[in-house]
Amino acid sequence: MFTQMQPDIAFIRNRISRALAAVRGVLYGAGAHEIVLYAVRLRSDMESLFILITLGDLIGVPILPPYYSLRLLPFLVPNIASWKRRVLRERDILETDGLDLLAG
Amino acid sequence: MNTLFALVIGIVVIYLGYQFYARRVDTQIIKADPKKATPAKMYMDGVDFSPTDRNVLYGYQFKSIAAAGPIVGAITAANLWGWLPALIWLLAGVTLIGWVQDYGAMMMAVRKDGDSLTAIAHKLISPRTRTILLLFIFVYILMILGAFGNLLAGALNGNPSVPLGIVMLAVAGMLAGQMLYKWKMDLIVTTIVVVGLTLLAILIGPAIQSSVADLNKAVNGLGLTIYFVDVDGLVKPFTTSYMFWLLFVVAFSYLGATLPIWRYAQPVNYIGFWVMALTIVGGLLGAALAVFLKPSVANFVVPAFKVFDAGTGGALQPLWPMLFVTIACGAISGWHALVSSVGTGRQLEYETDALPVGAGSMFSETLLALLALMAISVAGKGAGAGAFAAGVGQFLNVFGLDPTYGTALGFAAFVIIVITVTQLALRFMRVVFAEAFGEMWPAAKNIHIGTIVSAILMIIIVLSGTFTYLWQIFGAANQLMASLALMLVCLWLVEQKKNPSFAFWPMVFMYVTTIAANLILSYNLWVTVVLKQSSKPELWFAVVGAVAMILISVFLIAAALYIGWDAWGAYKRMKSGKAATAPAE
Repeated sequence: MFTQMQPDIAFIRNRISRALAAVRGVLYGAGAHEIVLYAVRLRSDMESLFILITLGDLIGVPILPPYYSLRLLPFLVPNIASWKRRVLRERDILETDGLDLLAG
Repeated sequence: MNTLFALVIGIVVIYLGYQFYARRVDTQIIKADPKKATPAKMYMDGVDFSPTDRNVLYGYQFKSIAAAGPIVGAITAANLWGWLPALIWLLAGVTLIGWVQDYGAMMMAVRKDGDSLTAIAHKLISPRTRTILLLFIFVYILMILGAFGNLLAGALNGNPSVPLGIVMLAVAGMLAGQMLYKWKMDLIVTTIVVVGLTLLAILIGPAIQSSVADLNKAVNGLGLTIYFVDVDGLVKPFTTSYMFWLLFVVAFSYLGATLPIWRYAQPVNYIGFWVMALTIVGGLLGAALAVFLKPSVANFVVPAFKVFDAGTGGALQPLWPMLFVTIACGAISGWHALVSSVGTGRQLEYETDALPVGAGSMFSETLLALLALMAISVAGKGAGAGAFAAGVGQFLNVFGLDPTYGTALGFAAFVIIVITVTQLALRFMRVVFAEAFGEMWPAAKNIHIGTIVSAILMIIIVLSGTFTYLWQIFGAANQLMASLALMLVCLWLVEQKKNPSFAFWPMVFMYVTTIAANLILSYNLWVTVVLKQSSKPELWFAVVGAVAMILISVFLIAAALYIGWDAWGAYKRMKSGKAATAPAE
């Protein structure tokens, strides 16, 4: 009897924990996701600036002497692809920070 | 009718609409495929394009679309025509039209590499469509500022228990920014402190209302008065204390528009979310349980149907088309399409998530409108914030909370929801202003100049307008934008050789309805203000305001016709097999 009940309890526990995780996700999304997004954007702006300073030669803006750029290059290579996508992407005014907070 | 029955009807219709209509469109027409790479995966940059869990995105989307719109629209409509037309439009609108737009715009953005709505309009229709859409958005924001500024100044002026909570909201917002970003404190601790402080101030509000009333009296002693023509055709005054509270709203929003977003606007919005969430959850639970715990609260006292044409004083307010622009968000809203495409669409991990996130959150938003409708229906009378607050106070009284405090919480929640939107609208307006005039006049790029100019425009719109007309022009702009978003979805479906009927008929209905509503609004303003009042010198400001409103309405109609004409050209281009993309300007 006891062993037959085990799978049901496990199933119910699993369902409850999934439901709780969903509620947590929704609350996080409604309350904190925009805060996290904004923090990530701030960090990405700083990173973009850093890459521009160190690898400015790539786009014809030589800020740092090439010696230092080359020394830093191996550490920056993983970020170059997403940096290029980010800075070269066309943006319009609808992407203003805070627009997602402006509810209808 | 009682609250439980209304809630059950709402939930059943929403469930059926989601399960049997939205799901069918998703699987059989759009054919969402979890194996297809979404822009979040293809262009992942960890910032704008970033795959996110669907529960998180559902919460994010719901928060982005649910605010003052569904509340004010439902209340204003129930006051004009009765609760039954409002309830029918809310449920039919969301089931047949609202979710189609939110979901359609999201899926279109996902399949179009995460492009924004204006960028898709540029590609699918013509380059000038993008420009017209941006002008449209400018007018829309201006109307938000006008309608919400009017609402806020009236609520703060008429209810001395509210201002303390709003002042505390500003202080707590700054504190939250400092705690989170500078002192790097835990989010939960920060939330408990700042939301607790704000709720405490809201509940203390009624205790100090006599002091605020004295302040209002003293300010009114200055004797500055501007007259306006109300929706009933009567001439009424904006008192000095009204203008004082309007300036308070401007000052509050000025901080939101000029300070870094983390410092003020975002934390204020965050606190607002919790106050709103508590009010919604408490209100809905109270509405559901009232039948069992306090039956006297549960019965609707507002007539089910009042009259087909609610116009007075020579104005027209026929049920069609005016109801359909008075209730905007809650049934359908063009703003959602912008957020769906730019914000949420770029974070979808799987295409199949668009249904619960885009359609699901729209269906859920209707519950907020339903709460507002139930609140005014049990409160019986009053307009806007007053009716909502009184209704929420009664719902919370079901749990034993004194109606004084429940009403104060309802009032404060309402004002907080509206003021957080207003500050962000002013911020966005400042950005649009800099973008539009920055090249021509470099000073426009200065954040203070841009904000001051936007704030002056806001004050002029508020003081020269009548709330109902401001709200309806805002609704008309919003609904027209929704029909244009649906038009884009239709063109995209035609381009993809899919059946566009599920988006086409809603688009036609909204397009015709909103153009008709704009014509009636222009007629009302012309007849009740310009013709009747232009000979009275004390009403020159109201007359100028009415002329400006008429011009805005005419602009909205002209822009919609222009986009419609271009869209027809794009449709013929697609059908004739020529390149689907738009020609150069």
